[in-house]
Amino acid sequence: MNVPTGHLLALAAVLFGLGVLGFLVRKNVIIVLASIELMLNAANLSFLAASRHWSQATLAGQGDPSAGPVFALFVILVAAAEAAVGLALVIALYRLRQTVALDGVAELKG
Amino acid sequence: MAEALFYVLGALCVLFAVGVVRARMPLFSVLSLLGSFFCLSGIYLLAGFPFLAATQLLVYAGAIMVLFLFVIMLLNLGDAAEQDKHAGLSLSGRRLFVGSASAALLALVGLAAADASGQFSAASLPTGRALDDLNELARLLFSHYMLPFEASSLLLLVTMVAVIVLAKRQRERTRAGAARAGERSPEELAASGAPR
Repeated sequence: MNVPTGHLLALAAVLFGLGVLGFLVRKNVIIVLASIELMLNAANLSFLAASRHWSQATLAGQGDPSAGPVFALFVILVAAAEAAVGLALVIALYRLRQTVALDGVAELKG
Repeated sequence: MAEALFYVLGALCVLFAVGVVRARMPLFSVLSLLGSFFCLSGIYLLAGFPFLAATQLLVYAGAIMVLFLFVIMLLNLGDAAEQDKHAGLSLSGRRLFVGSASAALLALVGLAAADASGQFSAASLPTGRALDDLNELARLLFSHYMLPFEASSLLLLVTMVAVIVLAKRQRERTRAGAARAGERSPEELAASGAPR
């Protein structure tokens, strides 16, 4: 695949932007969590794009191409943990309020 | 060929991501998230990361998606949750503005990056082996990234405990908390018949 690194990064940026939009605009907490997953995936894509960029022979010694996949693996792990805790919070919230809309939830506002 | 496939997958991925953000029901949102994960996995494969493509499918499409769908089915939300005004958007003006502005800004930055770094030659990539070579990855994880690796195992343990505590029923949780603090109610003491 002979796609320039910038195009991969552009795709990652667009996905991240859509994730930010969904996170800020939607009020269903499940869709908000899905938007967070989208943002984490965009971060992963940019890690891998950078790794691929630095693994070119002409750039040898300038970057560490092996760090990208390792960090992508860690991001996947953190995403799994985040989804589990987030969805447990959704269940707790639903049990408490019988809703998944974020608008009415302001218990921690003080 | 691979280039064309990348652009097709990328466009599909963005379309699915738009579907995530603007789906009316959470179920459709999560299903389009699944489609976006599949497209991203294909992109990883094309970019030379077969192991991460497989991990993406196994962990995201396999585990996290099942978790999402399981919670949606468990909550039994029905149509009532989303049939309110604004189609599920919290259109509080400022948040919508900040959201669209930051999304547009990020997309612009990405497109600028695409313009700036045009040079990439696949011919100069080390051919014949994956960029996420499994031997290399494992060696790094157990040598250079030892501490983060162990910390992540701790994170998973903490997550497991947290999820159990959060998702348990309220009644059982308070009873467990009372038992842990050594303050059992008189009724419980009488029921169990345990002498103090």
